[in-house]
Amino acid sequence: MIELPLAPLLYTALLWPLLLGLRALLRSLIAPSPARVTLDWLWISAPLPALALAVLGADGSLPLQTWLLGGRWELDGQRRLLLAFTALLWGLAGWYARGYLAAEQAQAAAGDTDSRSRLVRFALPWQLTLCGNLLLLVAEDIASFYLGFALMTFAAYALVIHCNTAKARVGGLAYLAMAVLGEAMILAGLLWGAGSASALTLSQLRAALATADAGLWMGLLLWLGFGVKAGVIGLHLWLPLAHPVAPTPASAVLSGAMIKAGLVGWLSTLPLGMAVVDASFHALGQVMLSAGLAGAFAAALLGIVQRHPKAVLAYSSVSQMGMLTALVAVGLLRPESWPALSALVILFAAHHGLSKGALFLGVGISRHPPPWPGWLLWTLLALPGLSLAGALGSGLLTKWGTKTVLDAAGEHTLVIWLSLAAVGTTVLMVRTLWCQWQQRARASADGQRALAPMPLAWLLSILATLSLPFWADRLAGDLTGGRGGGFAWPPLAALPDLFWPLGLGLLLALTLGWSLRRVAPWLSHWLPAGDLWWPVAKGCRWLWRISRSALRGLSALQAAWVAWWLARERDGLTGLEVLTRAEGWLRRQLAILLLAVAVGLAAVLLFSAQSTPLWPQYLSRHAS
Amino acid sequence: MSALLPLATLASSLLTAGVIFMLPEQAARARTALNLVAAMTKLVLVMWMARGLIAGQVYAVEFPVAEGLAFVLRVDALGLTFAGLSSLLWLFTTIYAIGYLENSPNRRRFFGFFSLCVASTLGISLAGNLFTLLIFYELLTLSTYPLVAHRGTPQALVAATVYLRYTLSAGLVLMVGMVALQVLAGDLRFGQREILAHLGEAYHPLLIGLFWLLILGFGVKAALVPLHGWLPRAMVAPAPVSALLHAVAVVKAGAFGILRLVYDVYGIGFSAALGVLDGLVAIACVTIVYGSIRALTQEELKPRLAFSTVSQVAYIVLGIGLFGPLGTIAALAHLLHQGLMKVTLFFCAGNYAEELGIHRIDELDGVGRRMPLSSLAFTVGALGMIGLPPVVGFVTKWTLGMGAMQAEQPWVLAVLVFSTLLNAAYFLPILNRLWFRPGPAHGVGTWPCERAPSRLETSAWLLLPALATALLSLLAGMLAGLPFSPLQWATWVVNQTYLALLI
Repeated sequence: MIELPLAPLLYTALLWPLLLGLRALLRSLIAPSPARVTLDWLWISAPLPALALAVLGADGSLPLQTWLLGGRWELDGQRRLLLAFTALLWGLAGWYARGYLAAEQAQAAAGDTDSRSRLVRFALPWQLTLCGNLLLLVAEDIASFYLGFALMTFAAYALVIHCNTAKARVGGLAYLAMAVLGEAMILAGLLWGAGSASALTLSQLRAALATADAGLWMGLLLWLGFGVKAGVIGLHLWLPLAHPVAPTPASAVLSGAMIKAGLVGWLSTLPLGMAVVDASFHALGQVMLSAGLAGAFAAALLGIVQRHPKAVLAYSSVSQMGMLTALVAVGLLRPESWPALSALVILFAAHHGLSKGALFLGVGISRHPPPWPGWLLWTLLALPGLSLAGALGSGLLTKWGTKTVLDAAGEHTLVIWLSLAAVGTTVLMVRTLWCQWQQRARASADGQRALAPMPLAWLLSILATLSLPFWADRLAGDLTGGRGGGFAWPPLAALPDLFWPLGLGLLLALTLGWSLRRVAPWLSHWLPAGDLWWPVAKGCRWLWRISRSALRGLSALQAAWVAWWLARERDGLTGLEVLTRAEGWLRRQLAILLLAVAVGLAAVLLFSAQSTPLWPQYLSRHAS
Repeated sequence: MSALLPLATLASSLLTAGVIFMLPEQAARARTALNLVAAMTKLVLVMWMARGLIAGQVYAVEFPVAEGLAFVLRVDALGLTFAGLSSLLWLFTTIYAIGYLENSPNRRRFFGFFSLCVASTLGISLAGNLFTLLIFYELLTLSTYPLVAHRGTPQALVAATVYLRYTLSAGLVLMVGMVALQVLAGDLRFGQREILAHLGEAYHPLLIGLFWLLILGFGVKAALVPLHGWLPRAMVAPAPVSALLHAVAVVKAGAFGILRLVYDVYGIGFSAALGVLDGLVAIACVTIVYGSIRALTQEELKPRLAFSTVSQVAYIVLGIGLFGPLGTIAALAHLLHQGLMKVTLFFCAGNYAEELGIHRIDELDGVGRRMPLSSLAFTVGALGMIGLPPVVGFVTKWTLGMGAMQAEQPWVLAVLVFSTLLNAAYFLPILNRLWFRPGPAHGVGTWPCERAPSRLETSAWLLLPALATALLSLLAGMLAGLPFSPLQWATWVVNQTYLALLI
């Protein structure tokens, strides 16, 4: 394979999306001509340099002296695979968006300024989010990583609330509130960890965490902080609220690419697979393992009762990320098996990212179906679901690889739990398809030309999912090199062992669907998307009201305190006034006063002359 | 030459003030030209001195006032940091003020005192002993009073009176403290840190008492809780004055006074030995949290920014209190960073008020569409205040965090993170309103008081300074590794002097 120098590729990959975003902004500010298309071909090309970087870039690192606190960007096998699937998904979703927003584009071309500003509000944050996502993948210094993470997180807010409906605002609030909470925990963990060893790069940070006194707590903060993005159970509240309201291409990248940033955060900061790690990290590993499995099952249960296909898919993401969390936990519990496992975790991430992206894009396809035969359309819609359930392509590969590694590490129970979670995945996939089927629309011939990018991008995303096993090896390079020849396909004899969750899931889906058809609406009503968000939001509003009244009381107290001092000051001034008046009075009555004093003195003298001396001893002593 | 430069720098503002007072009210053009030329001259002079200082030159001038007391101007790295900040931001604030006060009455008075105010700021930064510092400190108080009261409304007069009450009482306290130190140790030149340390064990209680007395004096201008009451009140002043109060001169003068007190009068090592630094950290932490909480409950834009200043300036004091080079670097860097970010925010708030008549936060819906560039600048400033990279606020927060770990006070991190959360809680809703809520620009409701639309979104005099400071605060963060970025400058200052400070 040809290898190109790293620096120019890195710069282009990160700057190109920024420049295109700037271009969209400037075109709307400086020369707003309605004929211009906002989401043109150039705009779609944003992730191409990053893709080129992943495929053609040479391994290595790029130090940047003047950047932030001293930058360092790197490319290695792990980053290459992550970068490749991320850029691919972003590119396909961007292309899809061109069809998805075709109606808006047409309105803007007809001269509607509102549509045009809405388009800019999509086009600019899209590129910023992409840039952040790419930066956090290549960053090796902590500051760049945090910058990429924050840029991605906050720019994506604009994508979430793009539709600006009441629901979108609730989703946006949930997204932003949780994101800020996560950022705070990440910042705390990074500052604490980096400060304890003056670390500037992520690998130094990992080493610092492994040996620091309070390493466990730093690790916990970082795990929870990145867990918000990765949808760890309890911190997943934003996912099912934000995904359904975002435009479909944005949901696809949110769930496919951005959610992986949480995982990347864990891989970059936690001391996974380090033999020297403090024994207390076992406790964190146990917690992660339990939380991951709990998330995998709870999300499956919550997802089944959702009615919106995107909400079901969001819960499925929480469930899948739960499985990944459990796998990452093994890196803390059994450091020796991590080198083999880490490659599979990355493959799992790429597999889930692409499959989930295809599934989300498919939701838009069933809403605006192309004029294809029904059997073809629904087979294609089911394919990424089957892959996610582990029956096809990358899903099968990941599942087999994980099973072998875990069996070799002696984690047999975990294998059974993960297989059971896969049953949940199958049920969720059936539920998604069922929801899509119920909300399907008829294909109509008009507007197909404008919509054409949608089915094309979607088809390509399915293709990317299914072909992942064939190109993942090449990119991952040294990542799998240690195990001799990349990711392996399962032998035929192992297939029943891998397929039973799928069968059980299908069976369960049918029985559940039939037996719960009466109570389903009731269940959906009582378990709305976002589950715990609603009571938590209520509690926060209540707390806010209390604290605000407390603060009002405090300001009243302060005002009273100031008033008291002002009153004392007035008293002082009044006193001065009295003194001044007394002085005037004294001046006026001076003659009388002096006279009175003189008279008084005279009286005393007279009195003393007629009687005994006032100070007899003094006088007598004086006399003697 | 070495005596001339500090005097010339001081004169560049002082003479301007005199000439402006003599010019007639109508001579607007001459006044504008004079203001701009003076601002540029001062910036050039300060940069020249910075170059000389790095090359090892000494700039000092001295007049004896009485036996054992002298008026001393002396350029050192610490003072030049503050001088550089104030002269850079003064340029932008002057440009802004010219646009802001276009066609309003009493401009002669305004610009005269404006120049006087900056002259005293410069005097504070170049002062070579406590006595000189105090003279300019009081001059600053007196020259800002007419600026706060400029509008002449009853509200403005009350605010100015409150300001005067606070600052004059503080001046009195400072005077007492300074006289006491003078009696104890003679003329205290900055940099002669060993004098107080060598007084002996018996004087320590007295010195600790005097330290807190002087902090009480400086703390009023630095708006440390509970001495901050004047700052939110002074919000009634015109926007350029708010910028001056919050970013360039007054609040910074207080923080700079504390810097001088700790590093150059007592010496950081001696302060740590006396155990006063922990108290400083505690006060700073209380101020950071309290200011942010109060900002959260404000419903008008400028008071919210004012309480944000209360919180942000305490970062500088926090950095001073964290014993170690990194804490000092953070304090010095934030002195510059906070100025850049806060001045941007106030410029933008002024633009909103001038162009659309907006004062309340709930009137900001959809402003991003009507005034995209101002809102962009505001966004940069607000994100910086929260501490998000690549804006400079992140650099401060990071360095402060490292400083806290170096000083072995990891609990300070909790305060930093909590403050980040609170900052996000009061800035992000504003950004949400600016960009994502439909407002009058989308045909929903009307602006409170809209000016006739111009070619740009508002007058270029108002827009350009805001954009320039926003860009600077972005660049200073992104390229923090560049030789003359605030962070690198602060690092240089600390490297130059910290070892000496450890006496």
